[in-house]
Amino acid sequence: MTNSIPEIRDADFLFVIGSNTTEAHPIIAMEMKRAVRRGARLAVADPRKIWLTEIADWTLQLRPGTDVWLLNAMAHVIVTEGLVDSAWVEANTEGFEAVAKTVQGYPPEEAEKFTGVPAETIRQVARAYATTPKAGIYYTLGITEHTTGTDNVYALSNLVLMTGHLGKRSAGMNPLRGQNNVQGANDAGATPVFYPGYQRAEDPAIRQKFAEAWGVPQSETRGLNLNEMMKKLGPGGLRGIFLMGEDIVMSEPNVGRVEEGLNGMEFLVVQDIFFNESCRYADVILPASCFAEKDGVFTNSDRRVQRVRKAVEAPGQARADWQILLELMKRAGLEQPEYAHPGEIYAEIAALTPKFRGISYQRIEREGGLQWPVETPDAPSTEYLHRGGVLRGKGLFQAVEFRPPFESADLEFPLVLSTGRTLYHYNAATQTRRSEGLSLKQPECFVEVHRRDARKLGIEDGQMVEVVSRRGQIPARAMISRQVRPGVIWMPFHFPEARTNRLTTDAGDAVTGTGEYKVCAAKLVPVAGATPEQVFPGAFAAAGAGAEG
Amino acid sequence: MADEGTSDKKFVVIDGNEVDLKPGETILHAARRIGIDIPTLCHDDRLSPAAACRLCLVEVEGARLLQPACAVPTQANMVVRTSGARVERNRRFILSLHLSDTIEDRAACEDNNPSRLHELAGIHGTAGQWPTTETPRADRPDDDNPYIQFRPDRCIACSLCTRYCDQVEAVSAITMAGRGARTTVSTADKLALTDTTCELCGGCIDVCPTGAMTEKAALAYGKPERELEKVRSTCNFCGVGCQVDLNVDREANRVVKVTSPPPGTTVNDGNLCVKGRFANDFIHHQDRLTTPLIRGADGELHEATWDEALTRAAEGLCGIRERYGPDSLAFISSSRCTVEENYLVQKMARAAFGTHNVHQCAAT
Repeated sequence: MTNSIPEIRDADFLFVIGSNTTEAHPIIAMEMKRAVRRGARLAVADPRKIWLTEIADWTLQLRPGTDVWLLNAMAHVIVTEGLVDSAWVEANTEGFEAVAKTVQGYPPEEAEKFTGVPAETIRQVARAYATTPKAGIYYTLGITEHTTGTDNVYALSNLVLMTGHLGKRSAGMNPLRGQNNVQGANDAGATPVFYPGYQRAEDPAIRQKFAEAWGVPQSETRGLNLNEMMKKLGPGGLRGIFLMGEDIVMSEPNVGRVEEGLNGMEFLVVQDIFFNESCRYADVILPASCFAEKDGVFTNSDRRVQRVRKAVEAPGQARADWQILLELMKRAGLEQPEYAHPGEIYAEIAALTPKFRGISYQRIEREGGLQWPVETPDAPSTEYLHRGGVLRGKGLFQAVEFRPPFESADLEFPLVLSTGRTLYHYNAATQTRRSEGLSLKQPECFVEVHRRDARKLGIEDGQMVEVVSRRGQIPARAMISRQVRPGVIWMPFHFPEARTNRLTTDAGDAVTGTGEYKVCAAKLVPVAGATPEQVFPGAFAAAGAGAEG
Repeated sequence: MADEGTSDKKFVVIDGNEVDLKPGETILHAARRIGIDIPTLCHDDRLSPAAACRLCLVEVEGARLLQPACAVPTQANMVVRTSGARVERNRRFILSLHLSDTIEDRAACEDNNPSRLHELAGIHGTAGQWPTTETPRADRPDDDNPYIQFRPDRCIACSLCTRYCDQVEAVSAITMAGRGARTTVSTADKLALTDTTCELCGGCIDVCPTGAMTEKAALAYGKPERELEKVRSTCNFCGVGCQVDLNVDREANRVVKVTSPPPGTTVNDGNLCVKGRFANDFIHHQDRLTTPLIRGADGELHEATWDEALTRAAEGLCGIRERYGPDSLAFISSSRCTVEENYLVQKMARAAFGTHNVHQCAAT
């Protein structure tokens, strides 16, 4: 996020796209609700009528995978109606002309045909965004989990740059991170292309720096990203995997292929707190600690480095992950300093990364969470980025053209399946499904279907169906929903007995490798003879079924 | 603040101190600005004022009645007294009145959550013990929701919980219902919370000043919050980074419940969601892995010592590096683990095994 979470309450215009904020980031949604109550205007773009649309001024229920059409059409309106902040563009950006030319080909009337969003709505939202000084964009995986994920982000940043909504309080570009420490894991260099602090692995000077710091020469071979790893499992590719705190057999797209690959692996080490689905393939399992049992830091969506503190002892012989890792490194022949506490490991990170150099446990203890960059011990926490000028010098426009998703609906698979998280569960749900209350609220896998599609297929609310894609099929209970649009079905991915990622495609974004969880072609087959049961006890399902106009 | 002509600068006088006038500011906030704390029960900065508890009544020169500081805006040349015999007599009277409406004995009332009402009564005193209010508030005995227990005998109808539900969580699942001494907290048709728009955020528990809204599991555990130790940490679910207080029973090595730090102090401003507040069963779940396991020649997993498991893991990974080269290994770390742990995994990949094949799980 270029802005901070507490700035949201002071925004005057919120453009939320591809983010079911009330369910995935409930506390950020509270800030959005607060802004709207104060008088801010809200536009929500999502293939589903998510909760936020109830308080939105504009709802843009676009077809999955047509984000570039929508965003380029908004840019079209801003350019053709003279709403570009020319002075800011001149001073702070480069490449505007190419974008201005590209978006000429995206008039709102054409966009309406592709996206399903009325041209007039696109115009109104574009105008409101461009003419409101404190206008923020908020997005999540609905933007990035596409084969065009990078294009989607470019298209959004073009809007930010042409309106100059950057480097100010409450105005900026805000990806909301899905997990407690996605930001921190990236910051720490757990990515093939970056060392800690986004120092490029392809840069020989950076490699030299880390070779000296760690006392070991550094490989010049480019590393594989996770998407590539999953496609290279087995002979001729990867032979051994170390897996910490991730259930690839639940969470990766097209898991059928991942499982085949794992069968061909020679050696798999899993370090986790539960016996997850991937453990079935493990040669060694190391029992680890959960967040309540160890010290460390998490870095949240608004770049805030905050402490995790040990509250209880880990069960049985389970150990803190950092202790296991240090021990394993020693046994693999890399001597490690005798770290007594994660604060000392953080000091090693800070010494190697300019962005975090001013951050220490002592400062966090004194001042609370610190937002990076903090480059010296007396530099202040950074509330929002790009203050007083774009960080890279000139903000770079990137002209993008629409490309269709990897799969589209066709005669055999006439529906588009999109996936996501619910309020009551979390990802592979190894934690939340062990909560009795949450399992009561959402006991089993369901698939949201529009009433019109359900009627056509003869599916009743609460009936068991098979959801089928080119890669596999899983059972789920049909929930006739007013949230999805006709032609689109939606499923959560939390249930091991109905693994939604057997269905999803592992086609990835060309730049990031992020899988297209949000779009694949699918069909529904009613299971004969099963009696319909309501998916949720009580009113939620009733509202979904009954309130449909 | 820019000076807008110092000559016509306007003031309000609070306890003899001149405070510069800010348009729309309440007496409560103007007083807080100069360090004067007016006690409140039903006020919360996240909510619009209700002026329901009457504890914050102060004297305003020229006004016949005492005025609620939480709701009355300051005006130029207003003269306010936040203490003095009349104000303090009212406070004691109000505290007695509310105490007569709840469980008067502090220890009994605080069987789970701490009671702000009793705390204030301790500070400001009372006007003596009054007979308990006879008419009971109505309950919803059939509400089988898993987390939130409403105990009407403690409720003082301050409406903090319903205003929170309306204004902060914005789901309006609970409402004040009934009149007079029968006023209670209810839902439409007295439905169970799980059958309403309630998202089980538990904010009603957090704002309740008497423990009338309380957490079922912690109540069943049986140790009052004041006997638990709070450990400040960061929630382990989504990327908002809410600060949480893990309430720990040291003797039992157990996280009993999770509460939010006070509003205005952390990024979550006193709020938590259903997962952050309630989904902590996993910490002490019987399914936790507690022993290292090694797959034996028989194809099954067997319990092992740490020494055996670590040696086997290191040998296995090193063996693959020797046979097929470092790039035949991959290291996958977790966005659920700490920054330090992710740093160590990439250091292990790059320095101990010589490959850049390292990625955190949230990459796809």
